[in-house]
Amino acid sequence: MSTSFGGYMGKVVELDLTTQQAKEYPWTDDDRRLFVGGKIMAARILQSMLTGSESPFSEENPIIISTGPLTGTGVPSSFRFNISSLSPQTGIVASSNCGGTFGYFLKKAGMDALIIRGKCPDHTWLEIENDKFIFHDADEDGLWGLRVMASQERVKELLEERWGAKRAFGQMVIGPAGENGVLYAGIGSDERAAGRTGLGSVMGWKNLKAIAVTGNHEIKIANPKKAKEFNKKFYKKLRIHPLTGTQLPRMGTAGLVSSMQMRGMLATRNFSDGRFDGFDKVNGETLAENHNIVNKGCVSCPMKCSRTVNVDGRPVKGPELETLGLLSANIDNDNLEVVLRLNYALDDLGMDSISAAGTIAWAMEANEKGLWDNGLSFGHVDELEQIFDDIAHRRGIGDELALGSKRLAEKYGGLDFAIQSKGLELSAYEPRRAVGMGLGYAVSNRGGCHLNGGYLVILEGLGLFVDPQTPKAKADATMMFQDLMEATAACGMCLFTTYMFFPSPLITRPNSVITSTVNKVMPHIGAALRGINKLPQIAHMHLPNLPHTKAFELVTGMNMTMGDYMERGERGYTLERHISTKFGVSAKDDTLPKRLTDEPQDPSDPTTVVPLDTLKREYYHARGWTQSGIPTTHTLKKLKII
Amino acid sequence: MAHVNVKLLGMFRLDTGLHELEAEASYVKDLYPILLAKAREVKPGTQIKAADIDGCIILIDGKQCRKSTKLKDGQTVYLMSPVCGG
Repeated sequence: MSTSFGGYMGKVVELDLTTQQAKEYPWTDDDRRLFVGGKIMAARILQSMLTGSESPFSEENPIIISTGPLTGTGVPSSFRFNISSLSPQTGIVASSNCGGTFGYFLKKAGMDALIIRGKCPDHTWLEIENDKFIFHDADEDGLWGLRVMASQERVKELLEERWGAKRAFGQMVIGPAGENGVLYAGIGSDERAAGRTGLGSVMGWKNLKAIAVTGNHEIKIANPKKAKEFNKKFYKKLRIHPLTGTQLPRMGTAGLVSSMQMRGMLATRNFSDGRFDGFDKVNGETLAENHNIVNKGCVSCPMKCSRTVNVDGRPVKGPELETLGLLSANIDNDNLEVVLRLNYALDDLGMDSISAAGTIAWAMEANEKGLWDNGLSFGHVDELEQIFDDIAHRRGIGDELALGSKRLAEKYGGLDFAIQSKGLELSAYEPRRAVGMGLGYAVSNRGGCHLNGGYLVILEGLGLFVDPQTPKAKADATMMFQDLMEATAACGMCLFTTYMFFPSPLITRPNSVITSTVNKVMPHIGAALRGINKLPQIAHMHLPNLPHTKAFELVTGMNMTMGDYMERGERGYTLERHISTKFGVSAKDDTLPKRLTDEPQDPSDPTTVVPLDTLKREYYHARGWTQSGIPTTHTLKKLKII
Repeated sequence: MAHVNVKLLGMFRLDTGLHELEAEASYVKDLYPILLAKAREVKPGTQIKAADIDGCIILIDGKQCRKSTKLKDGQTVYLMSPVCGG
């Protein structure tokens, strides 16, 4: 099934692991127009395959690996791919996005997406070259049981032996955590990870250790000459923007620790506070001054947001902000070297560092409160590397910790301080000082995720400083940012590119009259935001500070105004929600633990809680969902979901 | 004049190598020339300009302030370059 659009390969393949048979999945240009690619495309395919009765660990649960039309096309920061499936952690539709080269090579093999169904009878790894699917024994090849980095090295050795030469390819692998069914196991690819929502354990349940892919198909561009010229301008815009051109390349995401501390939103001691006395020992500045060896990034990305640090004499990937915060302030640890070591251990074991660290923080508090005698306590981190190894191999208390904080709290008590939503642990932003972020965590399709939640924290203190305690306009802004990021992810681009949305002067001149005015006015423009959300087509234009839509047009040859782009995002977001409602998701699941909604962070200031009921009411209304959190038939039809 | 402790965070700290200093000043803006002089002393040849300091977020006791804010004895003033997301 070919395509008339550029950027796409024109083929989606469905592979049954049980029968080892591959066939083409019907995916038309009309589907491409409506569902773009990446996670939105995956959601549409899941909609056709899931009825609401499937279990994450079942042959009926597919894993969908999908690319965007811009993946690997030379557009800046566009080497992303997506993995969607039912999550064993949340029980509902989940997506996890990853950088690296796998998506590019999947397209070189001639595919926009690969749907994996069934289950391998034995431990297996898969080699894909163009339309050939070759199944290998992962035990015989000495692959099963290896950690993530060693697995990737081993796959490389095996392929070089088979091919008799070195050739470029992409790969994604699981570590021991995925093999052993840790509910928050991730998938590694190069130094990157599709970390969240436990999709590594779905791969492990299917006995699939690794996928390596290569091919020699050409990725065609609709207007190659114009696209090349435009991409140069796009790169330049990213390079001169203060966030994407200076802050991220210089400090990575770790640069946020200090500002979160200043704003009282650095999760501390299992989110019981928002400030950590030892923050200056573990912040991005100290990381850059004392530990950073080199900055790295994905192919075609000028941001180079990844840090390479030294752990035990080896250069390894350093922590992102979320892990940095959760393995330091949130467990009362001010030893940065310990954070670096633990972060690498988690990556190498193939575990989501956010959920692993969040679960440990809950367990420390549960132990201190006498709910579960597990030997863990805040500030005591010497044993954690061993504990993480025990989790990955399901030994001792590690076997229980592998279930995550929600399930443990249901068993031992302590749900009020199990810092998760829908079973997914929150990242390091303390939402009682950024209530819009609190809403995002609660309503996020994949559970407590800052990015899928709309990342309103960037308005509430980390870029601008819109009143972080007011609920005004936050629901509409959350919807807008969610839709913007949904569309961007579906294209195959990095979400960080959306930070260009903020004009540079608002960032570089935080004390100016204009910036102060924007901060003050923002809570009063909810109605205007609602209007744009309801009728995104009124934005019948390209925005100069968001070159994504123009780049999309030049690569694909498809029309894509800003309004079209936002509509695609809304379609994707509501579609994922619609599928999850088949599994029983409703407003009752859009929750936060009581610590965040009922206990003020500052006992003398009752506004330092997340006013979740108010925010949810506005949010459902903005989205065209019922007050039970169910998309209405009118909304589903308007968005061409049904 | 107030005696204050000034702490630097973000790019400004990385560019100057300056972490903190004590200073006498009446208003936040009075700290700027002191900081510039100190930065040039710590890292001769630094390209830091007054406008770079002007672009910093100013926080005193966790509250965002302006350069016209009057200082009090014993306060800790944080100057932090703009931040982003992760």
